[in-house]
Amino acid sequence: MADLSTSFASLELKNPVTTASGTCGYGLEYANFYDLKKLGAVIVKGIRMTPSDGNPMPRVCEVTGGMINAIGLQGPGVDAFLHDDHYLPALKKSGATVFVNIWGTSIGEYADVAAALDAGSDGISALEVNISCPNVKAGGAAFGTDGKLAAQVVRAVRGATRLPVIVKLSPNVADIAEFGRIAEAEGADAISLINTLGAMAIDIETRRPKIANVTGGLSGPAVKPVAIRMVYQCFRAVKVPILGMGGISCGADAVEFMLAGATAVSVGTANFTDPLLPLNVISFLDEYLDRHRIKSVRELVGAMEQ
Amino acid sequence: MARFQILENVRLRGDYFRVVFSAPEIAAAARAGQFVHVRIDERRDHVLRRPFSIHDADPAAGSITLIYKRVGSGTALLAEKAAGSCCDLLGPLGTAFTPAPEGVVPVAVAGGYGAAATYMLVRSCARKPVLLIGARNRDELILDDVYRAAGCDVRVATDDGGCGVKGRVTELVEPLLAENPGKKFFFYGCGPRPMLAALGRKLRELHRDGELSVDEIMCCGVGACFGCVVKINDPDAEKGWSYARSCVEGPVFPLEKIYLEK
Ligand SMILES: Cc1cc2nc3c(=O)[nH]c(=O)nc-3n(C[C@H](O)[C@H](O)[C@H](O)COP(=O)(O)OP(=O)(O)OC[C@H]3O[C@@H](n4cnc5c(N)ncnc54)[C@H](O)[C@@H]3O)c2cc1C
Ligand SMILES: Cc1cc2nc3c(=O)[nH]c(=O)nc-3n(C[C@H](O)[C@H](O)[C@H](O)COP(=O)(O)O)c2cc1C
Ligand code: FES
Repeated sequence: MADLSTSFASLELKNPVTTASGTCGYGLEYANFYDLKKLGAVIVKGIRMTPSDGNPMPRVCEVTGGMINAIGLQGPGVDAFLHDDHYLPALKKSGATVFVNIWGTSIGEYADVAAALDAGSDGISALEVNISCPNVKAGGAAFGTDGKLAAQVVRAVRGATRLPVIVKLSPNVADIAEFGRIAEAEGADAISLINTLGAMAIDIETRRPKIANVTGGLSGPAVKPVAIRMVYQCFRAVKVPILGMGGISCGADAVEFMLAGATAVSVGTANFTDPLLPLNVISFLDEYLDRHRIKSVRELVGAMEQ
Repeated sequence: MARFQILENVRLRGDYFRVVFSAPEIAAAARAGQFVHVRIDERRDHVLRRPFSIHDADPAAGSITLIYKRVGSGTALLAEKAAGSCCDLLGPLGTAFTPAPEGVVPVAVAGGYGAAATYMLVRSCARKPVLLIGARNRDELILDDVYRAAGCDVRVATDDGGCGVKGRVTELVEPLLAENPGKKFFFYGCGPRPMLAALGRKLRELHRDGELSVDEIMCCGVGACFGCVVKINDPDAEKGWSYARSCVEGPVFPLEKIYLEK
């Protein structure tokens, strides 16, 4: 048995495996399959101040080796999340380590959500700030791809909470390391990447886009090599820890992310394929470390040899 | 993940197939209208499972039956699987049809493979359901024989008139009501979206009650992704509707909840 525990930002995690925002609901959706306490953390879907409807249907389509989604951040809003039985109160009871993903349509809203969650922070271990969702016309895309706006968002959130702040970067930029540096400079405790890649698919029989929003975000195994490259570039650019994700569909993928520089990883789309995948990743890590006679998972971080 | 063995996988007609899985726990729990979420093969190019209604469940034999139409890469792969091979199933998932009590005539209204989802009502309702089934043509008509063998009154509509009445399945509703004045009916609709919308409108016009099972694309199948939503009436919402996840709050919704576009 190798040591899977790790330090991430100011937190001690049981293991480096988390479930990615938007793929594991707001509460106990996966608790029927396994004990959520077994995860390093559960990262709930994006929350803003008010409830939001999200985009029209169809919101998803499958493509070779992945999927495109434009869910458009449907959600209950921060009040309901904090107080309705089946959201945070249920997660708290489950004993899971909870990171809350947040978003807004203005810098002020980001700060307000962060402050509201800070006030109700019992049961929340960290905030993940989504500046990268490509789906919401009013905001997301612009914050994550404009360095000045990104800096303002991070500063505003940093000023509004004592919780560790993880800034989730958009891959839809020319130089991702630059955004990593911006987040770090503005006080982020960690960065996470990648969110989905801008994408689109057309049904050639009907000549209509396969999702109603026309464009959406690509995720799944197809994006993994891009994500590995970006984690590697950020690892060389920042000192804060990296939460790596994008296409992880087996334990070996998680090891690859860690070798590229991720301290922890998130399983996203693969939860849809196999709800038990996060547990398989954890047991693979254990087995891999033993096989390579490595004592602690921490030794893998950025350990790629050149 | 759990592996479920295929006991039988045969073609019914044209692109329609029947597959039987050994799945004792699912068979014991399954109710009419629920579905299983199937990972057909461990291929990395397929990241999503495919949802299929549970057509029949035999708790004694520990098996469940699905009826599927070959429409794309996943169902094509499933059609090639031989008895003895395995798939990974999650289920039973979603909401079920409410069995009609004594004194109420259950009526299943089905389009295409929709008739797969309503079959277990044959056993759960106090009396045998009437089946109103619509198809494009004779070759697309399935399960009418299975319902007949179970003792159901089966009425058919085809677009080309090649079998039964020429026209839409919804046109079979009024004649049935006219034949049975004063009787209480409860309708169960399952089929493509335009058919469900037409049925929903007709039943409201006629002040009849029922439940509709919707067919939306799904990712997780367990309520985690919000990829499968449908509009339901919501008096608290300004627009009059809000989105519900069809995998956990559905696929079966009470007729009065379904929001019908104007
Ligand atoms: C609750 C429910 C019950 C269903 N029951 C049955 C059944 O009993 N028999 C049957 O033949 N089919 C049923 N379907 C439809 C079935 O899921 C699709 O036909 C199937 O997923 C197509 O997969 P494919 O890979 O062959 O097609 P592709 O077109 O290659 O699939 C691409 C993607 O689109 C999705 N998709 C395509 N068509 C549909 C559709 N009509 N509904 C939902 N997702 C779709 C697939 O799941 C996949 O993610 C049901 C769907 C739902 C939601
Ligand atoms: C259906 C779906 C919904 C998502 N919702 C969110 C979200 O609300 N907030 C967010 O920051 N990322 C969201 N993401 C992005 C994922 O968290 C993750 O960054 C991305 O999918 C890449 O990982 P994967 O390839 O393992 O899925 C979503 C992804 C998917 C597929
Ligand atoms: S398919 Fe994920 S919420 Fe319904």
